[in-house]
Amino acid sequence: MTRPRRRVVVGLGAPDRGDDAVGPTVARVVAAELAARPVPGVEVLEREDPTALIDVWADAAMAVVCDAVRSGAPPGTLHVVRTGPDLPPLSDMHVQEAGTHDFGLASAVELARALGRLPEQVVVVGVEARSFDWSAPLTPAVAAAVPSAVTEVLTLLGP
Amino acid sequence: MSMQPTSERTLSVDVLARVEGEGGLHLRLRNGKVDDVKLNIFEPPRFYEAFLRGRAMTELPDLTARICGICPVAYQFSACLAIEDACGVTVPDSVRALRRLLYCGEWIESQTLHIYMLHAPDFLGYAGAIEMAKDHGAAVERGLSMKKAGNALMTLVGGRSVHPVNTKIGGFYKMPSVQDMKALRPAIAQGLEDALETVKLVSTFEFPDFERPYLYLSLRPEEGYPIEGGRVVTSRGDNWDVQEFTQHIEEVHVAQSNALHGLLDGEPYVVGPLARYSLNFDRLSPMAQQAAREAGLGETCYNPFKSIIVRAVETVEAFHEALRIIDAWTDGLEPSVPVVPRVGEGFGATEAPRGVCFHRYKIDETGLVTDAQIVPPTSQNQPSIEADLRELAQEWMWMSDEDLTLRAEVAIRNYDPCISCSVHFLNLTVDRG
Repeated sequence: MTRPRRRVVVGLGAPDRGDDAVGPTVARVVAAELAARPVPGVEVLEREDPTALIDVWADAAMAVVCDAVRSGAPPGTLHVVRTGPDLPPLSDMHVQEAGTHDFGLASAVELARALGRLPEQVVVVGVEARSFDWSAPLTPAVAAAVPSAVTEVLTLLGP
Repeated sequence: MSMQPTSERTLSVDVLARVEGEGGLHLRLRNGKVDDVKLNIFEPPRFYEAFLRGRAMTELPDLTARICGICPVAYQFSACLAIEDACGVTVPDSVRALRRLLYCGEWIESQTLHIYMLHAPDFLGYAGAIEMAKDHGAAVERGLSMKKAGNALMTLVGGRSVHPVNTKIGGFYKMPSVQDMKALRPAIAQGLEDALETVKLVSTFEFPDFERPYLYLSLRPEEGYPIEGGRVVTSRGDNWDVQEFTQHIEEVHVAQSNALHGLLDGEPYVVGPLARYSLNFDRLSPMAQQAAREAGLGETCYNPFKSIIVRAVETVEAFHEALRIIDAWTDGLEPSVPVVPRVGEGFGATEAPRGVCFHRYKIDETGLVTDAQIVPPTSQNQPSIEADLRELAQEWMWMSDEDLTLRAEVAIRNYDPCISCSVHFLNLTVDRG
């Protein structure tokens, strides 16, 4: 029997910046679900720095990244965007980083691609955010979207 | 007056790439002369100083850390120093050493990100780090590995890789163990090797022949390279206590920017790597000094484009200092000293990666903040950035609009301006056309 190839679920975002916490929140619920119903070879992580992705997914076959997204859609809207070595970059799919803050998810994907470190499958499970206030909880619409984001992630990981 | 279209050029960069926060550049040339230079900062003003009034002094390290996602430690420690100054407390050497170590982590993270991801692509002729990675994969991997070492240091000492949660007025909540420090040592030792390689790499870049007679300002502690504190020194010979900072530094508002412009007795001045290096070369470790000399730097540097070499030398120093502190660490040290509030005013300054970060607070007898003033490095550098752009545009006016705009953008990145940042999210536009 061959061991299943490693897959990672990464909750990206600051846990104390309002809806930016949705990534880590989804990751925590996913981790709890997997503790009850283990899926072999899956690792669940939380990260704040997108450049860390390049390292954590380096040898993974699949990475599911949960992140807050801003597109103008109603808060709580779920966006599932796929990329990979043979798929276009997130930026070509009109996914842009807000402002020029640090080095975002779309940049991390492209840098990993250039370095040959992009998993075969990268799926972004994005939740449309509304507020990034300090120490604020998730806004109601975003909190309400957490269960469907979790279901999406678990479905991606398969039975 | 007749219009002469060929003699009028307006170059604009609406949103600057590869700087922290949101800013734009406007350069207007008329009849062979630079007519107008404006660095527009449209990051909304954050009214931080007003919102800190009425907060407890103990909240300041956590609140001010949120001003910046790249240099939170600078804000935390400047706030700590100011409150400790107001309360008449001096922290023990062990706390100061750990502050220096955490600060090294921040320098490593910030300087490495700037060197490899933001600035090196300019010199190697790429639009950005991603394009550069295709041809210079090993160099970019080295940068990522160094940044990871910085993140690990921040996580061990600060409890988190961004916005450390382990710091408080008077010290830390928890001291790391010798065992934890030893576990981290190999990554830091490798980081030092990588930093030396980085100095070699960036010293091979081609630099425009451009020097400016900067007025430099930095901190200078009793010993060592300035990081987590010190007195204020300048290249015109000043040497003041941090308390005198506001007697000399004036912050003025200009229309094009939401950030205040800092002036030193009415003159533009420069803080950051070039200033620290030029005023404190004698304080670098012999290893960093040698790396600088081998990279062709003198004991001072007035070419802003060479700031990338200075940042690399400072990264050597940060790794070297981190190793020194790790190796001298012992268990059983008190993590903090009590700080009892009293009515007063306090002043604190530390060296953020981008330069001096100054804080001043007044507190009441219960420790509530009644007045706050924060002078970040980028606002101090803004007048000099504009002066550089003016001179540079005059000197290289013969260039095409495209080349001149790029040169101007590189000149802005020389300062690694931290206009503002903190949260990561995507701006998503769905085009269904």
